[in-house]
Amino acid sequence: MVMEVKALADARVTPVHAADPDADLVAAARARPSEFVALYDRYFARVLGYVRVRIRDSATCEDVTSHVFTTALAEIGRFRGQGPFAGWLFQIARNAVYDAQRRRMTESRVVERANLDPTPEERVLERERAEELRALIRRLRPEQQHLLALRYGAGLSFEEIGAIVDAAPATVRVRMHRILEELRRRYPHDDA
Amino acid sequence: MTMHDDSDLELVERDLTALAEPREEDERLRLVLRAQLAAGLRPRVRRRRRQSMRIAFGAALATATAAVIALVVLAGSAGSGGPAAADAAVIHHALTAVTGPANAIVHEKVVGVQNGVPVEAEWWQEISPPYANVVIKGPVGHEGEIGDDGTTSFEYDPRANTITEQQDSSPPTPIDPVSQIRQELAGGQAQVAGRVVIAGASLYKIDLPDGLIAYVDPSNYRPQYLDDPQRNGSVVRLRVATLEYLPMTASNRALLSVTAQHPTARIDTNPTDAAPGK
Repeated sequence: MVMEVKALADARVTPVHAADPDADLVAAARARPSEFVALYDRYFARVLGYVRVRIRDSATCEDVTSHVFTTALAEIGRFRGQGPFAGWLFQIARNAVYDAQRRRMTESRVVERANLDPTPEERVLERERAEELRALIRRLRPEQQHLLALRYGAGLSFEEIGAIVDAAPATVRVRMHRILEELRRRYPHDDA
Repeated sequence: MTMHDDSDLELVERDLTALAEPREEDERLRLVLRAQLAAGLRPRVRRRRRQSMRIAFGAALATATAAVIALVVLAGSAGSGGPAAADAAVIHHALTAVTGPANAIVHEKVVGVQNGVPVEAEWWQEISPPYANVVIKGPVGHEGEIGDDGTTSFEYDPRANTITEQQDSSPPTPIDPVSQIRQELAGGQAQVAGRVVIAGASLYKIDLPDGLIAYVDPSNYRPQYLDDPQRNGSVVRLRVATLEYLPMTASNRALLSVTAQHPTARIDTNPTDAAPGK
């Protein structure tokens, strides 16, 4: 158990990002993993929204969200605090989404189960519209998908996204506008 | 750059936001995960049945042979002939029909309709390690194309004519439906459920333990149709349009490479996707 005690001690002295609004919660979670639930409460809806922009299947969204927080809890002691906690967490989400998308493509099942079942968002968007939009998102570059999901899935401000991707809010705004323009050009319903 | 009405962008933004719209069940999910995290448990909201495909191919074939022998012996001990022996023979022939030669490429294509949407999937997969593969699947007109050569995974974006490469430490495994049928037939629990007529053809119906149903042609025991049950209780029937084994020639080997199939595509190695904690 010596190693575990040492690891915890190291974790406590690891600095967190000075401007990180989650710094106190991160420090508490490092000291006592049970405190991680406060971070979980703060980010659950945002992570789930992030995932939903990029993955359609509800069960997969739940699995991925679960995986993100499980991983974050397991790795919180290694979080170096060189950037905001949110950036670290959404990087885990980003890679979890990527893994899930690959896994779904390579599953032996010919068609994903319930892949085309109606979901609640399709009460707002027609099924074809939602399908097409996600297909377009998938064709964007990974960095663009990430930004889009942070903005419209996690609901983060340009300032928050800027802190995550280490860019000025104005830069994020410009990038986002370009992404939307690209989507708009390809969106089949925009010229109707 | 073409100028557009801002309302167009607002429409896109509105639809993007709607994709992530909160749902009634979110609070339940939040509470369940929270309780599990607080208890220090590994959260498992949903445990999906997902058969591991990481069985070494040689081991699978050995198991297949043993299973068929066991079936035949059991059937034989109950007397000569009879339904059990006949069923064991059907399964034996079906297993043989979906077992390709070593050092070959299996090429399969299935087509079907899911919730009114035509879907199709096509595989080219090396039968022996490293099981390099290329897969094209999805709704017709919106298929995705991926591949894996044993060390790297590839995904092709036709609109950008770009291939995204990602190092992949997990070795590819047989992922095609015929491989799944083969493994389930080899498992010894498949059951012949009589004969049915589909599209005018009389076929053996074989219930597989994972829920799939295979319909095989009595003349050559090759699967003609698959019933793929969905989580919502519906069943997608897939027609096996192609099942062939290709020799490992240089030209056929190119079928296992996404980059060889799209020689003009830009390669994106995408190094920024390295996962924290991995």
